[in-house]
Amino acid sequence: MMKHIASFLLVLFIPALALGTPAKAPGAIRIGALYASSGPFASSSLPQYHGLQFWVNQVNKSGGVLVKAYGKRIPIKLIAYDNQSKTSLAGTLYSQLLTRDKVNMLVADFGSVLTSVAVPLARVHRTLLFDVTGTSARFFTPGNPYIVLTSLPTSGIWPTTLANFLIHRKIRRIALLYSTNDFDDSQAKTLRRKLKAAGITPVYDHGVPSNTSSYAVLIHGIAARRAEAVIELGYPNNDIAFLQDLKASGVHFNLVFTVFPGQLLSLMKKNVGDKVLTWTYTYPTPPLLKHRRINYGPTLADFISSYTRDTRREVNFLTIAGYNAGLIIQKTLETSASLKPLAMRRAIGKFSGRIKTLNGLFKVNTEGAQIGETLPVGQLQRVNGKLRMEVVYPLKVKTAEARYPAPRPTH
Amino acid sequence: MVVAITVLAYVFIPYGYNNQFLLFNMMMYMALAQGLNIIYGYTGYLPFGYVGFFGAGAYGSALVIIYLHWSPFPAVLLGGLAAVLVGMLLIPLFRLSGAYFSIANLAAAEALYYIIANPHLASVTQGPYGISLPQVYDPNAAYWTMLAILVFALILSGLMRRSRFGLALGAIRENPVSAEMAGVNVVRSRAIAWLLSAFIAGVSGAAFGWYISVFYPETVFSLSITVFAIVFVLFGGSGTLLGPLVGTLVLYGAYNYIGISTPQYFQLTYGLLIILLVLFLPSGLTSLLRKRGIDVP
Repeated sequence: MMKHIASFLLVLFIPALALGTPAKAPGAIRIGALYASSGPFASSSLPQYHGLQFWVNQVNKSGGVLVKAYGKRIPIKLIAYDNQSKTSLAGTLYSQLLTRDKVNMLVADFGSVLTSVAVPLARVHRTLLFDVTGTSARFFTPGNPYIVLTSLPTSGIWPTTLANFLIHRKIRRIALLYSTNDFDDSQAKTLRRKLKAAGITPVYDHGVPSNTSSYAVLIHGIAARRAEAVIELGYPNNDIAFLQDLKASGVHFNLVFTVFPGQLLSLMKKNVGDKVLTWTYTYPTPPLLKHRRINYGPTLADFISSYTRDTRREVNFLTIAGYNAGLIIQKTLETSASLKPLAMRRAIGKFSGRIKTLNGLFKVNTEGAQIGETLPVGQLQRVNGKLRMEVVYPLKVKTAEARYPAPRPTH
Repeated sequence: MVVAITVLAYVFIPYGYNNQFLLFNMMMYMALAQGLNIIYGYTGYLPFGYVGFFGAGAYGSALVIIYLHWSPFPAVLLGGLAAVLVGMLLIPLFRLSGAYFSIANLAAAEALYYIIANPHLASVTQGPYGISLPQVYDPNAAYWTMLAILVFALILSGLMRRSRFGLALGAIRENPVSAEMAGVNVVRSRAIAWLLSAFIAGVSGAAFGWYISVFYPETVFSLSITVFAIVFVLFGGSGTLLGPLVGTLVLYGAYNYIGISTPQYFQLTYGLLIILLVLFLPSGLTSLLRKRGIDVP
């Protein structure tokens, strides 16, 4: 009789016990990342990695990240390898993170080239990829729920405000000079389309290889077309070479726009000097752009203060982009019901459009592409003898009037 | 036996070690090293621009997949044929020899890269904006295809080494004039070896493109691919079947092991390994066995 009662109780309680026991929490949340300590992407990859590393250190100092799936704080373990800017090695190392280290999620290295190999691998291994700065539209396809772009909108969206600014200022003689890569070509296409819709055809429209290092002939070609505005879209090395050659040529345009003074101002200052950067237009990004009404994570001032104190390194946009990827991961873990990638992706969908970090509004579309941020137009202006970034368009967020036409430099 | 061990290794290792990308790359470099061995090890011509065939294969195959909707297997073969076509165009380079041949070959590969990456040809080659092949993405099928390519390269290299044709190539390597006088058709034999070598690089490039599915011109025309293949052949020992295999296994294995475990010492360790090789083993690892009278296949 007692045996029967015991069996009955076991049958009754074992399922209840199984249901009531929460899954065992892991000792650490494993995040896989790559960085390039050498090669052409090192100068951009390292600050991005340092930003992510700083977020991990900050979170672990406070006992770990709050993981909703387990209802407790769990430390982060960052597993990172050096790909030396080589895509083939990057592929092996992403694969190592997915198959050997069994990471819970991946953080891609800087830019589209080093992100490209991670996209199919993350998909085939069903692991969520946090894409920090790989803005190529090719990565975001309807059948792939395993990717989320965290920091920048896809590059095709970037020049939207710039086009509106040019149209608003009634500038009609525009020269478009761009590097022929995914990143710049998609910007050129958007700009061309928007200008055409406003009845403006660029007086000069020319693509050059991404490794172009001499722009002198091109600048004189643009001057011969009597362009008022020159929009140069390139990578940092292109922007540097273009601005150096512009300075050497003595040619003056009413408006000069380049991409990277707004992201890597120190690097640009070091290479081309303050003088040629004065009155240059760009896309300002944090820390040169200060977002207001932040509702998640530290303010820009707090971040700069703690980052520089702890690391003795300078903050640039890529540092913030890396740190911001950490914040998005943190919010994902705080809100996702499980660590399964699709559950995390659903959690991201729920807070998308609702959080604003020091990097701006985080909002992604159904394919994981960032659409929340818009890049305003900024101008580097000289105020009290110092170079200062001012937002000049759109009008509702402007901090100063655009100086147009730009004053001729005094020699 | 070498072929059987290689096949068994790549069939069974994935059950215990699942970094398939690393295993794929290892097979790819083994096949490339064998392909390079056919032209360099057997005839003495060192093509610095060997990556040109690799890139031609990757693009040849990707373009027929995109535009003609071919399935990947025939597309890989077509990638090999695209590389053979490029090889045929470059046959006149054999008028040069030594360093002149190597440099001219490098220039040809660079020219091919710039043609493919030319934005004005974007409607044909996708220019610098890269290739995306999500419609055929199948890393497992690409893995087995790469194994088949490696087996083909090994059998070809092994057969050539033992055959009359291989002996003719060896004679060309030692002295083309004497070989010609001994009745060897130098021009034809060299061209056949060159095109076979190009074919192996082409199919390897095609399988690589299929495996990664998203790539840019700089990915498949990267000079580091040639450099790796050359170093692996030299490290193992050129002119043998085993040498390029051992060279790739040791050096590419070390490359990944150091890269994963102690990346901060990567350049230092790898550089030291190569310096030691040049100083003490200029004929490669297999020369150690040959010095002891052991026949190396």
